[in-house]
Amino acid sequence: MKQIVIKKSVLESNDKIAAMNRTLFNSEHVFTINLLGSPGSGKTSILENIISKISCKYNLAVIEGDLYTAKDAARIARYNTNVVQVNTGGACHLDAPMIYKALPYINTTNLDFLVIENIGNLVCPASYDLGEDMKVVVMSVTEGNDKPLKYPSMFQRSHIVILNKTDMLSLTDFNKEEFYQDIYSLNETIKVFEVSCRDGSGLDQLIDCLMRAIKNKKDV
Amino acid sequence: MHELSIVYNILEIVKEHAKNNNLNHINKVVVNVGEFCSLEENSLTFAFEALSKGILCNGAALVIQKTEAKAYCTHCSTEFKVTFMSKLCPICKGYSHQITAGYEILVSSIEGE
Ligand SMILES: Nc1nc2c(ncn2[C@@H]2O[C@H](COP(=O)(O)OP(=O)(O)OP(=O)(O)O)[C@@H](O)[C@H]2O)c(=O)[nH]1
Ligand SMILES: [Mg+2]
Ligand SMILES: [Zn+2]
Repeated sequence: MKQIVIKKSVLESNDKIAAMNRTLFNSEHVFTINLLGSPGSGKTSILENIISKISCKYNLAVIEGDLYTAKDAARIARYNTNVVQVNTGGACHLDAPMIYKALPYINTTNLDFLVIENIGNLVCPASYDLGEDMKVVVMSVTEGNDKPLKYPSMFQRSHIVILNKTDMLSLTDFNKEEFYQDIYSLNETIKVFEVSCRDGSGLDQLIDCLMRAIKNKKDV
Repeated sequence: MHELSIVYNILEIVKEHAKNNNLNHINKVVVNVGEFCSLEENSLTFAFEALSKGILCNGAALVIQKTEAKAYCTHCSTEFKVTFMSKLCPICKGYSHQITAGYEILVSSIEGE
C-alpha cells in the first residue's frame, strides 16, 4: 500500500484555459462579462436592451450558452450582432474550453465588448472562470428575495447584481430591505441595479456603468 | 449538478498520478473541498461511485475533507476565517473581499497498490 500526496486543483485544467482567454481579451482590449442568473430571470431580455443602446457606440459580440437549442442566439442575431451559440448538450455550466473553442467564430480584432450568456443556473457556473472581467448575475423579483442566501457563492463572486422585473414588485412579496441586507453581507462591494425590461426603468444606469467599463478597458 | 464534471476531473488527476507511481488499484481518494464551493457531498459520492466503476478506482473510498474559508485584510496584513455572512477582520473590524481560501477543490492524496 502506497500513499501519494498530490494537492492538485480539480479546476486547474479549466483555469489554465481561462487564463488563455483572458490574455486574448486583454491584448485586444475587449471588456468581457459572464452573464449569469436563474432560468428565465431575464438575461437575454437585458442583453437585448444593452445591445440596442450600445451597438451604435461600440463593437460587441455575444456567446450564447444553452443546454440545447439556438433560440437565444436567434433572438440576438435579429439585432445584427455577431453571435455564437454554444450548446453544452446537458452540462449545467459553460467552461473555459467551450469559450476557447467558440472564439475563432468571433472577430476579436476591433471588438470592444463581449457578453457571454451562461446557462440559467445559480449554482454551477459560479465555479468556472471563463476569462471574463466581471461576473454579472441577474435575478428577478418573482423569484423571491431569499435567493442570495440560498445561492451565496454566485452572489458573493459577482461584481454586479441586476434585480429585474421591478414592474412586478407590487404583485409579489419581495422584501427589498431584506434583499439589500443579505446581498451586502455576502458582498459589501457588489453594485446593484434595479431594472425592468418591461417598462425600461433603471436600464440607463446599468448601461452607463457598462459603457464606462468598456471605455476604461479600451484606454488601458 | 456539476458534481459529475468535478468527479470526472478528479478521476483524470487520479489516473495520471496512479500511472506515474505504478499503482494498479486505488483504495482511497482524499479531496479537499473549500467551504465556499457549492458542492453537495452526497452527489459527489454518488457521482464518484457511478464514474469509478470497472476502472482503476473500483470500490475506492472517496474521503471529503472540508477546508475553512479565509480572507486577507490588507490593512492589518492578516488572514482570518470568514463565512458567507461575515467577512469582518477581527482586528480592525473592516470588511475584506479578498478571499484567500474557500473556493478550492483539490485532490489531496491517493492510496493504492
Ligand atoms: N414582467 C417582466 N417580464 C420580463 C422582464 N424581463 C424579462 N421578462 C420576461 O421573462 C421571460 C424570460 O426572459 P428571458 O430574457 O428569456 O430570460 P433568460 O434569463 O434569458 O432565460 P434563459 O436563457 O432561458 O435562462 C420572458 O417571457 C420575458 O419577456 C421584466 O422586466 N418584466
Ligand atoms: Mg436567455
Ligand atoms: Zn483588519
